[in-house]
Amino acid sequence: MKEKFARWSTLFLQYLKRDWKKIIIWILGLGLFSGGFVPAFEEIGKGQGLLGMYETMQNPAMISMIGPTPVDTAADYTLGAMYANEMLLFCGLFAMIIAALHVVGHTRREEEHGLTELVRSFRVGRQANSFAVAVEAVLINIVLALSISGIMVSFGADTISAEGSFLFGASVGMAGILGAVVALVMSQIMPTSSAATGSTLGIVGLLYIVRAGTDVSNVDLSMINPMGWTYLTYPFTENNWAPLGFAVVFCCVAVMIAFALEGGRDMGAGYLPEREGRGTAKKSLLSVPGLFIRINRGVMLSWLIAFAILGAAYGSIYGDMQTFLGSNEMMSQMFTLSGVSMEESFTGTIMMVMMGLVSILPIVIVNKLSAEEARGHLSQLYSTKMTRTQLYWTTVILAAVTGVVGTLLAAGGLGGTAISAMGDSSVMDMGDFIAAGYNFLPSVLFFTGLAALALGLAPRLGKVTYVYLGYSFVLNYFGGILDLPEWFSKTAVQSWIPRMPVDEFDGAAFAIMTVISIALMILGYLGYLKRDMMEGA
Amino acid sequence: MEEMIRVKGLQKKFGKFKALHDVTFTVNAGEVVGFIGPNGAGKSTTIRTLLGIIDRDGGEAKIFGKDVWKDSLEIHKRISYVPGDVALWGGLTGGEIIDLFIKLHGGGDREKRDYLIKRFELDPKKKSKSYSKGNRQKVGLIAALSVDSDLYIFDEPTSGLDPLMEAVFQDEVEKIKQAGKAILLSSHILSEVERLADKVVIIRQGKVVETGTLDELRHLTRSTVTLVTEGSVAGMASVNGVHDFKQIGNQAIFSADNKYINDILSEAVKLDVKKFEAVPPTLEDLFMRHYEV
Repeated sequence: MKEKFARWSTLFLQYLKRDWKKIIIWILGLGLFSGGFVPAFEEIGKGQGLLGMYETMQNPAMISMIGPTPVDTAADYTLGAMYANEMLLFCGLFAMIIAALHVVGHTRREEEHGLTELVRSFRVGRQANSFAVAVEAVLINIVLALSISGIMVSFGADTISAEGSFLFGASVGMAGILGAVVALVMSQIMPTSSAATGSTLGIVGLLYIVRAGTDVSNVDLSMINPMGWTYLTYPFTENNWAPLGFAVVFCCVAVMIAFALEGGRDMGAGYLPEREGRGTAKKSLLSVPGLFIRINRGVMLSWLIAFAILGAAYGSIYGDMQTFLGSNEMMSQMFTLSGVSMEESFTGTIMMVMMGLVSILPIVIVNKLSAEEARGHLSQLYSTKMTRTQLYWTTVILAAVTGVVGTLLAAGGLGGTAISAMGDSSVMDMGDFIAAGYNFLPSVLFFTGLAALALGLAPRLGKVTYVYLGYSFVLNYFGGILDLPEWFSKTAVQSWIPRMPVDEFDGAAFAIMTVISIALMILGYLGYLKRDMMEGA
Repeated sequence: MEEMIRVKGLQKKFGKFKALHDVTFTVNAGEVVGFIGPNGAGKSTTIRTLLGIIDRDGGEAKIFGKDVWKDSLEIHKRISYVPGDVALWGGLTGGEIIDLFIKLHGGGDREKRDYLIKRFELDPKKKSKSYSKGNRQKVGLIAALSVDSDLYIFDEPTSGLDPLMEAVFQDEVEKIKQAGKAILLSSHILSEVERLADKVVIIRQGKVVETGTLDELRHLTRSTVTLVTEGSVAGMASVNGVHDFKQIGNQAIFSADNKYINDILSEAVKLDVKKFEAVPPTLEDLFMRHYEV
């Protein structure tokens, strides 16, 4: 027995040495994300904020997204209750995913890369590697749990108690360990490392969706769900440690199963046969557009789904907007204008925010072409009858189309949930939301054009487009609070567009910006025709 | 003979670095031209210029009598190319990628494709991210060989292939050659070039330093002779055309200038020859001679 794990400690120390940078980023990043938002929540909770948030979070759509709270009356909805309610599930989710990726990366991926083969040729036990990785993952998550607790306590907020903070941290850390353990099991079963990653994330996703259903219908059922054991601890309110106990037992059993499975398999092989792909290509792949749709498919789908969900999330707060925004000074400064209804002015601002996010996807797609170029994926294709014109315009048009579709999904998602949340008191119809969204389309096209210009003239500057997008986003988002001079605000491209439905549609601005965007694309095209491909360089 | 590739005084700069100074060679129809040189000599840069992936800074480069940059599309209809490092989309299977390449080239042959997949023993149903380097290379080769072209450009095509598959590749190249097509074969594996090439172009630091048939090149250099005699072999050291003379007892190993080979033989006969072996220089010897410092 001992032989199987021989010299695991050497491997373990080796991993710490190899991973220390990653570990620091992991713990700091996730730690700050999980624990560091206390001041922001204090800000939100001011005045009637807690009350508004409580009402908003009772919405079944919100519960299915972020989980329930045990609090029955708005009066008991303290800062701590709100923090745990809104943050814990997602922090746990992130911890799970990161730990799962880490574990698969150090087990099956290393087997595939041939590292394990080398390591096993030394006096190292057959299961020493898995054990070392498991210990590393547990250790990292314990440190993570302590860091989160420490960060939360350090803010000294009234209702953020020490016990609650430790429970919050421990819940996130436990979620990470759960993720690691599931990944360890799947790494034994699946035929390849990518299948192990995929199935682990699939399981996490499935558990999340199942709990969305049970949270809304009957929370008790969520307690059967391993994911439930992380966020149903209710820190700062009920401080229930019991679910973590279930999780520990579950992890121990799962780890034993994983080791038993590993003992019975060959290196580089799993228990399931490798799934066969297609031997020949479908007709839909066999063209330049077909290829680019295919290689961008995953990224397009996930972003588009995210836009719809984001729209729906913002839409769900329309019902209680008065309580939510009216009482919070910062919020009302950002989102309200005198003379128009709060819903309308909120729509104007939030649409601008969402269209900033929608602009990311076209940039991603345009930059994908230069990444493909640099990776040498296109080398052999250059010698075919495929032209640079086809490559360029396929990419730019695909990017623009995703912008159009993304706008529809974001605006539609917002409008759909907003209208149902407002019920009869609705002051806007679906058309208003869609129009407010497409009003910003020129700004989406402008970022597409900017990315296209970089692609054609200086592909290495492709990332700069993100920087400008981030800059304009921040400027617009906080513009209302900061009281900036006119010329300064105008450096953000969206500020040239009036905010519907509060302001009137400006046809001239719309047309001019669209023309400028198309001009940028054409300029980029001319550069793309002339320049050397940067393949492999 | 029809000229397929004609390169004259080709130059290319990357910023301040001059990658190609003066590259000049031709490839005729029905000819296999070996393009050899160490890493960084400019082989791939030359090939990329020929494919219109990068634009030249000077000189002339024509394929089928057309300019490689301006008329690249016309040219691409009739050429096939395999890069030295075939990079593939991990999410697509080998079969899908082969089909895509064939389709984008145009004029593929379904039967040829299936035949080549079998010959190269490729599993086309696997996602390409699980392919080894050799298997990725096979995908590129199968796609390039399945289409009918007049000129084939291979940039280190067999890197990562095992010797069996190398032999399959050489076999297929042999067939193309029989069919009267032209091939530009850049390679590190000199035995491969030696077997396949009619002509060799040696490039060094962006300049073509030697061109000719293997026989012509061999003539310029020396054979390695092993000689065992009854009498003392020491005297051979001073014969004209003998170089690098080494002696162990009655055995001598030296390199001999081919033009003095008769003089050397006559001198050796006087010593009562027991063994005489002359090995012609391999391409490797030729290659090394050019790069010796």
